[in-house]
Amino acid sequence: MLDTNIRPSTPRRLLFLYEILALILLFIYQKDNLDQYIIGIGIGLILLVHISNYLLLKISKGDNYIFLIATMLMSIGLIMIYRIDSQAGVRQLMWLALGIFFFYISYFLVRYLKGLNRLIYIYIGLAYFLFILTFLLGKRTYGAINWIRVFGVSFQPAEITKLILIFILASFYYQYENFKEMKYSSYILMAIAYSFIGLLFLQRDLGMAVIFYAIFLAIQFIYEEDRKLILLNIGLAVLGAIIAYQAFSHVRIRVATWIDPWQYIDDKGYQITQSLFAIAEGGFFGKGLGLGHPHFIPLAYNDFIFSAICEELGVFTGMGIIMLFLLLVYRGFKIALGQSNLFYRILALGISTLFGVQSFIILGGVLKVIPLTGITLPFVAYGGTSILSSFIALGILQAASEDFEWRMSDD
Amino acid sequence: MTSENRRIILVLSAFCILFVGLVGYLSYFQVFKAEAVKNNSYNKRLWINEENVLRGSIMDRNGNVLAYSEKDGETNKRYYKYGNLYSHIIGYSYREYGKAGLELEYNNVLLDISESAALNELKNLVLPSSVGNNLKLTIDHSTQEKARSLLNGRKGSIVLMNPKTGEIYAMVSLPDFNVANLNENWKEITENPDSPLLNRATQGLYTPGSIFKMVTTLGVLESFSLDLEYNCVGSTVIDGYKLTDYNERAHGKLNLHDAFVKSCNPYFAEKAVVMGKDKFGEVAERFMINKKIHFDLPVKTSQFPYKGNVEETEIAASGIGQGRVVVTPLNMAMMASAIANEGEMVKPILVKEIIDKDGRILKVMDTEVISTVTGPSVANTIKDMMVDTVKAGTGTNARIRNVTVAGKTGTAENPSGKSHSWFVGFAPAEAPRLAIAVVLEEAGVTGGQGAAPIARDLFIHGLNNIDFEEEY
Amino acid sequence: MFNILSLLFKYIFIIIIYMFIFSIIRLIYLDIKGMNNTALGGAYLKLVNRKDSIPFKINEYYSIGEGLTLGRRGDNDIVIKDPYVSKDHFQIVKDEDEYFLEDLNSANGTYLNGERIQDVVPLKDGDRIRVGNIDFLFVNKGM
Repeated sequence: MLDTNIRPSTPRRLLFLYEILALILLFIYQKDNLDQYIIGIGIGLILLVHISNYLLLKISKGDNYIFLIATMLMSIGLIMIYRIDSQAGVRQLMWLALGIFFFYISYFLVRYLKGLNRLIYIYIGLAYFLFILTFLLGKRTYGAINWIRVFGVSFQPAEITKLILIFILASFYYQYENFKEMKYSSYILMAIAYSFIGLLFLQRDLGMAVIFYAIFLAIQFIYEEDRKLILLNIGLAVLGAIIAYQAFSHVRIRVATWIDPWQYIDDKGYQITQSLFAIAEGGFFGKGLGLGHPHFIPLAYNDFIFSAICEELGVFTGMGIIMLFLLLVYRGFKIALGQSNLFYRILALGISTLFGVQSFIILGGVLKVIPLTGITLPFVAYGGTSILSSFIALGILQAASEDFEWRMSDD
Repeated sequence: MTSENRRIILVLSAFCILFVGLVGYLSYFQVFKAEAVKNNSYNKRLWINEENVLRGSIMDRNGNVLAYSEKDGETNKRYYKYGNLYSHIIGYSYREYGKAGLELEYNNVLLDISESAALNELKNLVLPSSVGNNLKLTIDHSTQEKARSLLNGRKGSIVLMNPKTGEIYAMVSLPDFNVANLNENWKEITENPDSPLLNRATQGLYTPGSIFKMVTTLGVLESFSLDLEYNCVGSTVIDGYKLTDYNERAHGKLNLHDAFVKSCNPYFAEKAVVMGKDKFGEVAERFMINKKIHFDLPVKTSQFPYKGNVEETEIAASGIGQGRVVVTPLNMAMMASAIANEGEMVKPILVKEIIDKDGRILKVMDTEVISTVTGPSVANTIKDMMVDTVKAGTGTNARIRNVTVAGKTGTAENPSGKSHSWFVGFAPAEAPRLAIAVVLEEAGVTGGQGAAPIARDLFIHGLNNIDFEEEY
Repeated sequence: MFNILSLLFKYIFIIIIYMFIFSIIRLIYLDIKGMNNTALGGAYLKLVNRKDSIPFKINEYYSIGEGLTLGRRGDNDIVIKDPYVSKDHFQIVKDEDEYFLEDLNSANGTYLNGERIQDVVPLKDGDRIRVGNIDFLFVNKGM
């Protein structure tokens, strides 16, 4: 069946059809109190998705699929956000436009800037600078100090730091032969990674700490020649988790509400139980767009967008989203396997791991498979910095999917 | 393949497993868990669905309405006519406190929500507001009232049922609570140490004491090699532990019949040990001990732990219904019913009919034999012992003029307080119409003194007032 | 009205999503399959352009074997229905384990690493061959 003829443009057409149908439905949904945005949203989304896809076709000779997958995810997300709160939907569309702009910028920067692999000390310095900035200007929301406001815009520095971490790791293992002459260099790298994780912990940003750890572990697992370091890394993480559980009450609360949220349904378990209600209520096919009650879910368009989607568009759509993320991760690893330049290969691996871990943590969280931590579902959930960061990462991945060896010989 | 590529593929495989696991869990959740999650009272969507449907009424076997709903402006309001009387049967349906009892178990019927989600959606489109189905119970309202008044405020439970059809005529559990004004007394109800929310008839696990000798007796009768004679000296020592009779009275030389009528403890303790734990356990399980009982309300499973490494003293104690044996009153009423019904135990039923808003009967609950405990001849042998128990044994307080009552008393020693007072039995013995289990929790009196008179009075009321439908 | 539409659409949405996923999986599968057929051994041409940016049928990989021809006419090994491509455009021949590229007097010419070739030229691994708007990479790891 897989052999039957298929045109490369088929997925793009399906995406177009999906958007058109959803927008028609939203239009009818709101026809009684139509706001002026719906037309704008509709045209905006379709133009944004299709112009950017078309443009990429002309510019990039790399991977054909990752951007397409991301635009599908973001279309589902935007439709859902707009249905829950039209104001948020309009803002999300602007963030998406900005995100795609940043996608191209990061794509071009990574593609044309030379010597990105030699800036490890600058990366490390930048990462610490961002952490210090967070502590100096940080705002506390939902118990975590991870936001700062710059020029009136809320901004989560760790969203950028996680990309810097990938660059640090890529630069380090790119120049592994040089660093190996330096004594204990791998240990120093590990100390730096752990200092990031520790700082995130102090900011109470547990989800982000797990993401940092997973990226570090994955790259270390693939490239570190001192294999006992990997065991040490895993051992330390287990130890750290136990200490954190003993020492911090907010960690214990997370675990307790994970094991039995029904017991704390009135307060601490409220969010997760509302999420489970929504998913259960949706069934396999969902209630239908506009026919569910996603506003019962707290943070329905941020952390719990997946639950809202499951309620109205069905668990089958939810599974589709999970599969899209799996495809994205698969493409990322495939890009890495095909990339002959080590630096860009590690970048591709780091970013694929980032997408995989981040989506797994929040999907598993809202499903109560793992303890819930407040991070966003890449491309789908509402959120400024998170959207920008995801698209920047995607731009890097897109650039890393191209053949660098003969570009260099070309110039 | 290079080790680098191998490791990359390893990490990729890990992600594949994680994501496929998520998809698997999501399906599992949807298929097996979603129904229970959806019906949690904290799910606000439930109430939105209910706003559109007028909840059905609940009535007794004679058509007396016990609970009903009415439109009160925009919202539907639920009325419970008899505040305390049906708190454990009908239960309640409150936005704030959720649902309990039949209101919970028959929620979909009362709201006329069909099993298929797609069908519901279509129905909601066609008929945005509708009326749910009504329930007709097996309960006889006047008998239910009588049963509650007989308990007279004491902690305990009564289950009165038809041994042939399984219909429950009365089921009382005290303390109870007023479902009509939960808003005012919810805090008090939940904080009361006597747990009024607990339906003792189905959820209370009590040590049965001597009424469990009915089980032991059946075991003895089936063990042909057993010597039925025994010389009682008032106590016996098994494996170093002493078991005594009530007041350590010596019964002298007696056979099974006399031991049963006089409720001789050393006899049944010894016989249980000789019979062996496996035989004893197998007989008990025919009485649905250790077995799940399917009922219109959730039932706790009665327990008799006999498997594995159980000491002899434990089996001896079980022989007289002490030790680790615990049972529900409903199960004990079923036990009496089985003997009354020539050895066949029928499924207890509480909801007789489901009737739609236009009066059409949608479903009639049928009588169903769930366990064949023994044959008619052995059942009649035990019945005779029970008749003699009431005639001249420990159960004389249950005697009724002109009606032969069969019964067994029990005084269950309770490690955490005063003893429970039990009576199980049925009447009339020749053609049983009523079977009963009465338990007075921590009453501190014998079954003959405490529970037997209650059974007698309820038998009299029931036989005179219940419309038995089928002619005997 | 809206309710009925929404109930209907939710099934359509799910169908579209799965068709989308399926079509992507199928395209990826075809890519990999094409790769395996040629990567088994020997020299091959790899399409540099993104496949979906080219408006006519083309494969991502072409195995060269003992040589091949490219042109617009149907009996060539690589047939490209592009007006820029001549009926018989170029050919690659193998001689003593070496590959040579020869332009067959095409109208628009054949470019090797950016330069239009005049005569028969030897190919080495990593060379880029351009015909019209199409770029091929010559891969020969066996050398």
